[in-house]
Amino acid sequence: MSDQKTPTINFKEKAMELLPEGASFEACLTCGLCSSGCPASGLENMDPRKFIRMAMLGMDEELSTTPWVWCCTQCKRCQHVCPMNIDISQLVFIARGNWPQEKKPAGIVRSCQLIRSTDSTSAMGLPPEDFVFVVDDVLQEVRETQPGFEKLEAPMDKKGAHFFVNQNSREPMNEPDEMVPLWKIFDMVGADWTYSSKGWAAENFCMFSGDDEAWYEVVEKRVNAVNELGCEVWLNTECGHSYYTMWNAIHKFGMDVNFKLESLVTYYAQWIREGKLPVNSAWNVNNIKFTVQDPCMIVRKAYGDAIADDMRFVVKTLVGEENFIDMQPNRSANYCCGGGGGFLQAGMTDHRRAYGKRKFDQIAATKAAYVLTPCHNCHSQMEDIGHFYGGDYGVVHFWTLICLSLGILGENERTYLGPDLLALIDK
Amino acid sequence: MTEEARHFETELAVIGSGIAGFAASIFALGKNITTAQVGNTGAVAYTTGYLDLLGKIEGDKGAIENPWEGVATLKSKFSDHPLSDISPGDINEAFTQFTAFLGECGIAYSSPGKSNITALSPAGTLKKTLCVPATMAAGPKAFAAKSPCIIVDFKGLKGFSGRQVVANLQAQWPTLKAERISFPEMVSGEIYPEVMARALEVEQTRVQLAENIKAVAGDAKVIGLPAILGMHSPDFVKAELERLTGLEIFEIPTMPPSVPGIRLREMFEQVFPKKGVTLIPQQKVSSIDFSDEWATLRLKDNYGPITIRAKAVILATGRFLSGGLEAHITGISEPLLDLPVTQPDKRQDWYLDQYTDSRGHAIHKAGIEVDSSFRPLNKDGKPYHERLFGAGIILAHQDWIRSRSGAGIAIATAYKAVEAVDNFLHA
Repeated sequence: MSDQKTPTINFKEKAMELLPEGASFEACLTCGLCSSGCPASGLENMDPRKFIRMAMLGMDEELSTTPWVWCCTQCKRCQHVCPMNIDISQLVFIARGNWPQEKKPAGIVRSCQLIRSTDSTSAMGLPPEDFVFVVDDVLQEVRETQPGFEKLEAPMDKKGAHFFVNQNSREPMNEPDEMVPLWKIFDMVGADWTYSSKGWAAENFCMFSGDDEAWYEVVEKRVNAVNELGCEVWLNTECGHSYYTMWNAIHKFGMDVNFKLESLVTYYAQWIREGKLPVNSAWNVNNIKFTVQDPCMIVRKAYGDAIADDMRFVVKTLVGEENFIDMQPNRSANYCCGGGGGFLQAGMTDHRRAYGKRKFDQIAATKAAYVLTPCHNCHSQMEDIGHFYGGDYGVVHFWTLICLSLGILGENERTYLGPDLLALIDK
Repeated sequence: MTEEARHFETELAVIGSGIAGFAASIFALGKNITTAQVGNTGAVAYTTGYLDLLGKIEGDKGAIENPWEGVATLKSKFSDHPLSDISPGDINEAFTQFTAFLGECGIAYSSPGKSNITALSPAGTLKKTLCVPATMAAGPKAFAAKSPCIIVDFKGLKGFSGRQVVANLQAQWPTLKAERISFPEMVSGEIYPEVMARALEVEQTRVQLAENIKAVAGDAKVIGLPAILGMHSPDFVKAELERLTGLEIFEIPTMPPSVPGIRLREMFEQVFPKKGVTLIPQQKVSSIDFSDEWATLRLKDNYGPITIRAKAVILATGRFLSGGLEAHITGISEPLLDLPVTQPDKRQDWYLDQYTDSRGHAIHKAGIEVDSSFRPLNKDGKPYHERLFGAGIILAHQDWIRSRSGAGIAIATAYKAVEAVDNFLHA
């Protein structure tokens, strides 16, 4: 730990500046709906209501130094339930940025540094040439070993492609076979897509470190990469915060962007409706139950319920309506799992798991065997709390289940399937 | 960035997401009127769960046992009260439809009876109400029978004290006792009813809580708990806890943020979209324009602009808390359409000197005027527009808090406003 002093912020002044149109602190009843609905309440003896009241009382030194700002995942559920529409997460963002770099959680800072260290913008520091190599290597192997996919494509730097597809670094770095189901889906629907050797990575921890400048720099690199290839749509794969960091930055920094930002979930739904992705639930002969986790970053914080409804349409088509059990609450009112906001990278394991207990209860109440989620951080966190609290559910990506339903899930692409699902494939 | 505006067309737009707004949508569903409902997170989360019709007549001593006679008294003594022009038959039908809908959607309620129920408050006081959730029904019965009963509260739960309830009721209910227990797996610090309710959706938590309750039950056969019996499936949770303990269990409402209101809001948010209502919660309408053919509502959410074109509009925006009325130095205004607001002539007449003055404060009767078709009136005393209707506590000449008539006004005026909309649309 550095002995550098954390500067003190005038939180009341900042709060007043940040108040959205129509919102009011004067009308705050201190009712506590924010705290009651926040999984981070109680951690570090803090909660959202306390944070706002302390800001109004001028307790700036305490707020400038409380480690709670690293437990709040900035999921905005407090604002969602607040009758006065008060956005506490923005104050948390400012507080995070105010911490001296040396005092911030090292995992978040390091991830942001790695993102800035190469043209890939990868939080794992995977350079462009390595990404290109891994993609090509995996592609060759699939072509050679998986009948029917001898001509599978994974285009790289293809100018004028419709979709610019990003990829979470975890796949090329740690589990490259997990990229393949997505390529097969693109192949099946005839998508005109490309990866880019530059700006391909999805994750962006610079936002979570509260560093505006770094956040902007990363997004700018990605925007330039899309523009260089002249793609019409930046297609975000199954990664929640990557969508939000890009979408929010473009608004926040007033960036000039002439392509669309879209989530893969929307296209899964569209392709199924159009008949291009002929999935069904006939494979689920044992009526295995599934639930779905709404990533805050694409549902509550960005698209709203429309994408949550698309997600449910996809899940129900994939597993059978009767085999889908919604978590409560859900869609925009869903709880953050505790994997977001850099919490997974912050090294505060006990706090993160205490936060995740609420999510664990939600999942346990469904009695589902699997949770589907289009977000890598949700995925990791729900696996971890499942193990920690003794749950017996699995967590799967959408692309896995889509390819399973289509009967094209390769042997190396089944990491997240339990014995019950594997048995169905082998039938 | 390329951004798409969303546009909806509907027969009816309901503005407001309190009890009146939700009731209006329920009645419109019953009449097959296509409906879009918009409103900021309303005060519905603050409800006790009790649905009062009328508990007190201004100037009378004591509470009302028979609210139907009370409504007749209003007609003779306070003829400008919004309930005074609605027939008991219509009010009864409105409550019957409203409570039946809640029951169908998973929150069972008692039907409106011939007289008021004497219900318990978290302070151990008594209040008159018309309909109660099934989870609370055993409380008034136990009180009436003076059955041996234990009020159980929890370590770490603020705002609900068994000792307080018992202290205030002891004289009337000598066999009432209080006990304090721990809630399963709530380790330390402040715990919230919302968190407890969600945890009780999990079987394991119910089993553990049942053991803790049995340990203090003694000879009592009836247990009163703060309102924590589940969030999504309260009737099931109550039945399960009763099965596990062998005791009769009831809930007492708690101070906000309380479970019964959150239950209602989350249920509405889930059920309405499934039933075809376009629900846009958490957003306020920023403007309305009327043409000969349509009313056009404009608003925006995180994702961008939204317009709703409706043939009729019900304004159910409530009073000060939810922003239906605004208080300024110069007077009280209605911010959306600048409708004239009936109010005391001078600001100094808003309040009497003593907060608890039994005559009540004049500001609490401020509101908009409507005609017999529930059309808000303009400055000339004429309907503002043939497509505009009003419902709920934004209507003038009632002090719903003092008269214990909030739900009654909301539900009955929504019923009449929808009836008027139906006549207008389908005449």
